[in-house]
Amino acid sequence: MKKNLFIKSLHALIFLIVLAMSGCSMGPAVQPWEKETLARPEMTFGGDKLDTGYTEHIYSSKEAASGGAGVGGGGCGCN
Amino acid sequence: MTSITKTTSNVVSAAIVTAAMALPSLQFACADTAPERGIVSFKYLNYQESQGSLSQYSSSSSSSSSSSTSSSGKVHSENDNDNHAIWIDTISGATAVATSTATTPTVVTPKTLSTTTSSTAHDRISVNAYSVMALVPIAGVWSFGTTYISDSVSGASPTYHTSGLTTMHDARQSVDAQLTRYFSSGNVSAGTSYSKESDYLSRSYSLQGSLSTEDKNTIFTLGGSLTDDTINPSTMPNLNAKKTTHAGLIGITRVLTKNDIVQFNLGYSEGEGYYSDPYKYYDNRPGHRNNTTALARWNHHFEGTDGTVHLSYRYYSDTFGIRAHTLDTEYVQPLQNGWAVTPLLRLYTQNEADFYIATGAAEKADPTVITAPPLSATYYSEDQRLSAMGALTVGLKVSKQLNHDWLVDAKVEFYEQRSQWALSGKADTALAPFSARSIQLGISREF
Repeated sequence: MKKNLFIKSLHALIFLIVLAMSGCSMGPAVQPWEKETLARPEMTFGGDKLDTGYTEHIYSSKEAASGGAGVGGGGCGCN
Repeated sequence: MTSITKTTSNVVSAAIVTAAMALPSLQFACADTAPERGIVSFKYLNYQESQGSLSQYSSSSSSSSSSSTSSSGKVHSENDNDNHAIWIDTISGATAVATSTATTPTVVTPKTLSTTTSSTAHDRISVNAYSVMALVPIAGVWSFGTTYISDSVSGASPTYHTSGLTTMHDARQSVDAQLTRYFSSGNVSAGTSYSKESDYLSRSYSLQGSLSTEDKNTIFTLGGSLTDDTINPSTMPNLNAKKTTHAGLIGITRVLTKNDIVQFNLGYSEGEGYYSDPYKYYDNRPGHRNNTTALARWNHHFEGTDGTVHLSYRYYSDTFGIRAHTLDTEYVQPLQNGWAVTPLLRLYTQNEADFYIATGAAEKADPTVITAPPLSATYYSEDQRLSAMGALTVGLKVSKQLNHDWLVDAKVEFYEQRSQWALSGKADTALAPFSARSIQLGISREF
């Protein structure tokens, strides 16, 4: 089981690195002084943590799928 | 650059407006610096779900409002014993008996189940929840974050398909904490969470790290977690069932242009233990569940409107046979005087689990007749959440930055789930449509 997990992680890593490298050829690299917009809160993937917490909890108790964005967090006996 | 100069004031106000959306969590994009300010947030949630009665929506039984013949207690649980019988009443409304209180009087606030007596009950579970979050930067290179959630859940829940309502009450409390250390080219974060209900205890530990390239345009993320759950249903208070889940996540975040950032995450989790729902009839699920998720997210800023669109797609697959697709989109539009509006749309679809038992012909004609699984079936469930279905959410969030420190927000969402909306799998069209409405009110202060 653990070995299986490791191999899957390795494949995923290789896939992502290739993906990142292919991204390099998309255009010139964004320079630090061009990142004012990217620094805006709405351009991050964090979001409003309490909002996300409620929303993900509701969806995971009403649908079969869950997760994807991060690790951790507790389970529940959802109704 | 010129457009940035022109909209500097907009940028500043927008940044302030949406400050509360920037709360660092274990889901970060650019996180090699500690937050400059601390923050405390409070959020209230009111959630109400409802479901049409089977007779109303069933394709084949318009006349049977379950007035019929059958009285309460038609079927009893496989897990019955003398002390812990749950008897099912149907939505027909015969008065019934059914409490399943714990045998041990010392058990504190057990989840109580009883059959509903309402014949036209459309309301299902309702939730009132409060949560508080604090994030504190420490010495420039550390941060500590913690969240506390208290919720109270009550209402009616089906015991098979969308029928056989029982009412329940429970309260859940959960707390989590993360400690993060920031380095020049990444960070490391350790977290723990604890969640308790009368019948369910969950503990989780996680570790996640990120590493960015020299130009900070690419960030690799690697994380892992361990979750340990203990389940003691009020109907079987001494069950002491366990569930252990190991999860791993690997991701990459990449800046594409000065207005575009994308993220890909691959997640894998292996779980072993008790997955059945002890409050449902004919529910016996496999003792392990592994899932794989692939998540792609793209944030794009429009210079013309100063708005930002968030697009995300998630693919989910697990060993129960579930395949699910989730498409999420929202658009953040900053306005004058600190206001911002964010409309959102979410589309979801899944096929049914391999062991899902669809509503049988007899049950379609008379919802009080519970469909029995085939004798040969090892695993079976009549939980609507494991059926093929699709769902739609529309919502709107409004926030206002009151001043440099204070921000308030409100959000409303409407959710509708229908078996007919399944894009793949075999829809069990006898299931009644399910809908929910949630309202969130929040306030936060930076310091």
